[in-house]
Amino acid sequence: MEIVKKTPAKLGTHDLCPGCGHGIVIRLIEEVIEELGQENNQIVIAGVGCVCTATPAMRFDRFQAAHGRAAATAEGVKRVRPDVLVFAYQGDGDAYTIGIAESLNAAYRNENITQFVINNVNFGMTGGQMSWTTLPGQKTMTSVSGRNAELTGLPFHFPEMVAGSKGFHVAYAARGAVIDAKTINQTKRMIRSALEAQLNGEGFSVVEILSPCPTNWHMSPKQCREQITGPIIAEYPLGEFKTRD
Amino acid sequence: MAKELLKGNVAVAEAALRGGCDFFAGYPITPSTETLEYLSHRMPELGMETRFVQSENEIAAMNMVMGAASAGARALTASSGPGISLKAEGMSYAAHYAIPYVVLNVQRWGTGLGSLKSGQADYYRDCKGGGHGDYHNVVFAPNSIQEMVDDIYEAWDIAEKYRVGVTIFSEAVLGQMMEGVEMPPFKKREGDLDWGIDGTGSKGMKYPGGDGQEYIDFELSKYERIIPEMQRWEQYRTEDADYVFVAFGLPSRVCVDAVDKLRGSGEKVGLFRPKILWPFPHKGFEELYRMNPHVKGFISVEMNDMGQMVDDVALGAKRAGYCVPTYCYPCGGGVPRVKMVLAKYNEIITGELKEMY
Amino acid sequence: MKEIIFAGFGGQGVLTGGLILAYAASTKGLNAVWLPSYGPTMRGGKANCTVKYGETEEEKVGSPAMEEADILIAMNEPSLDYLEFCRPDCHVFVNANAVSADYSYPPGVTVTRLDVVELADQIHNVKGQNLVMLGAVIKKMGLFDEAYAEQAMCKMFADKGKGSFNEANVLAMRTGFNAV
Repeated sequence: MEIVKKTPAKLGTHDLCPGCGHGIVIRLIEEVIEELGQENNQIVIAGVGCVCTATPAMRFDRFQAAHGRAAATAEGVKRVRPDVLVFAYQGDGDAYTIGIAESLNAAYRNENITQFVINNVNFGMTGGQMSWTTLPGQKTMTSVSGRNAELTGLPFHFPEMVAGSKGFHVAYAARGAVIDAKTINQTKRMIRSALEAQLNGEGFSVVEILSPCPTNWHMSPKQCREQITGPIIAEYPLGEFKTRD
Repeated sequence: MAKELLKGNVAVAEAALRGGCDFFAGYPITPSTETLEYLSHRMPELGMETRFVQSENEIAAMNMVMGAASAGARALTASSGPGISLKAEGMSYAAHYAIPYVVLNVQRWGTGLGSLKSGQADYYRDCKGGGHGDYHNVVFAPNSIQEMVDDIYEAWDIAEKYRVGVTIFSEAVLGQMMEGVEMPPFKKREGDLDWGIDGTGSKGMKYPGGDGQEYIDFELSKYERIIPEMQRWEQYRTEDADYVFVAFGLPSRVCVDAVDKLRGSGEKVGLFRPKILWPFPHKGFEELYRMNPHVKGFISVEMNDMGQMVDDVALGAKRAGYCVPTYCYPCGGGVPRVKMVLAKYNEIITGELKEMY
Repeated sequence: MKEIIFAGFGGQGVLTGGLILAYAASTKGLNAVWLPSYGPTMRGGKANCTVKYGETEEEKVGSPAMEEADILIAMNEPSLDYLEFCRPDCHVFVNANAVSADYSYPPGVTVTRLDVVELADQIHNVKGQNLVMLGAVIKKMGLFDEAYAEQAMCKMFADKGKGSFNEANVLAMRTGFNAV
């Protein structure tokens, strides 16, 4: 039997750090989009940060948004191109910290867009500073003694918030990870659900993906995996918080 | 066709739609809110319910406009001074990607929150770029509701021709007052854009990214075309004037009254009115110099506190060949009274008010 | 050029009153400008509008702001502050119900006092005070032909979808015509 490894047609290469999770996520998104037959009907609104380094891997209609504003820009695009799959592709610092207003408001209005948020619990591109998702006690370049939650707030849980808060009525919200075959397959199913929700006009969908950051965590890929399976998933459980109706 | 009495903020919104505007995102702010309100019910009437967004804030509105325009819409946002400051980030991004769009600034007076008085305090920001980086918007400065209607009707044609942002510089009073207007018919973009994101990946944004010479040349060649082609101005009784008022927007109408009064008492004065502020009408100053090189001084009349356009007036005069003083009457917030302009003129000719340049 | 200031408290219909004048001028083909008070002024309970129009089709309106009004319509006493923006020989129409009889006007000013509250009350149309006043101003100053003014007003309200009150409105305006 011949094993065929098919690479999605619209996938390019990237310059991300070895061990980073972005590459896996982009590949999963493109696999799903190709399976849905939408490879010539997709627009990515790219966030700012490591996403900028990841974007050469996206060889399709792409718009580079301003830092934090991708959800708003995606909304503008989607309103004009309602039949095209439009997704914002952002990191946690971009989508949840500087972009908290745009992300929450897009979810609040149940805009028919999809947001993929790569959560590596820090600002990667700028060299590993504290983000709203940084764990309490986690050391970063701006929390050198460990994050003081009393002073800087608790970890931010976007999928749970938009799935469970009164006044939100999003179509789909989930959190996956890309640390092993099991989580990668689970994440791929989440990505599929999110994009199908958009294709069906069900409204806002978000998939947050826990992703390793060996460079800024100062860890080997193996240690990164243990960090995610241990304390990170303890704070950020995997699963679907809002399933499609 | 009979003229219809319309409020500035409403007339400009209707004219935008007639000019092909098919996306709007905005946030309420006095004195521009009627534009948002009008479009909120007018766009659904025209089958564009989903093309109107009351956004969470000014920043998001501008980023929505950017997204919509990059996907092929004729996109508009509207605000007033403080709101445009928030949009400045997006306006810089839009300039970098060479996205055509239109922004209406119904200016009010002041720094920070300022006040709701009519103003022209945003000249520096809006005519010199506004956000970070090197860029300009084409800035229309109408002085009547009809002119504002005509300007915004043409705005997207210009924006798309050059791939540049267009600013319509309104003022609180111009937005709030009513005047007879003749509305142009609905029109659509002629032909298709050869760039834009539509999901097929076939066109793309088509601008040279990066920070290399290719990008710089792309930008420079654009502005090199705009600068000579988009200068517009109007002269009033300047042919033999000793002193020439320079004013745009509503103060220019006050200056017309002031010129007539002063001419009535034998003073030789005139008015030079930029109809577009960027590019500044240097060609107009050259025209004036050829016609009347004997001007003794220019007087910039502006609704702000320190004078802003006066810098360009002095430069325009000097470039054209004049070597005469440039005075400034920054009247603060609110449309200046004719008698105040007359009083300032008197201070100038008696030597009481010194030149700025 | 005609310049008219219509001023009073919010709710006295001064903006509508001024708008009717602007409509009447505009539908005649004259260049007209109507400028209301807005923003904080409006919220303070004071309201006013300035109406300017050319007296020939060619005449344009320069400054839209209060400059040297020919006519000041004062529906309350604070409105007389706007005398500052009137010609020395201006004509002032005063709501006698809300302005004291011994108010001291500058010399040269012609004053017409009219109890528009009483007049409106007589026709059982308290809300029509502004139109009573407007009728008086139009007639006394000869701004427009009476029939034309009625017709312009009715058209304006009809355009705004408020034509159903036109009968009462015409009566109010006529009450003003007859009061001067």
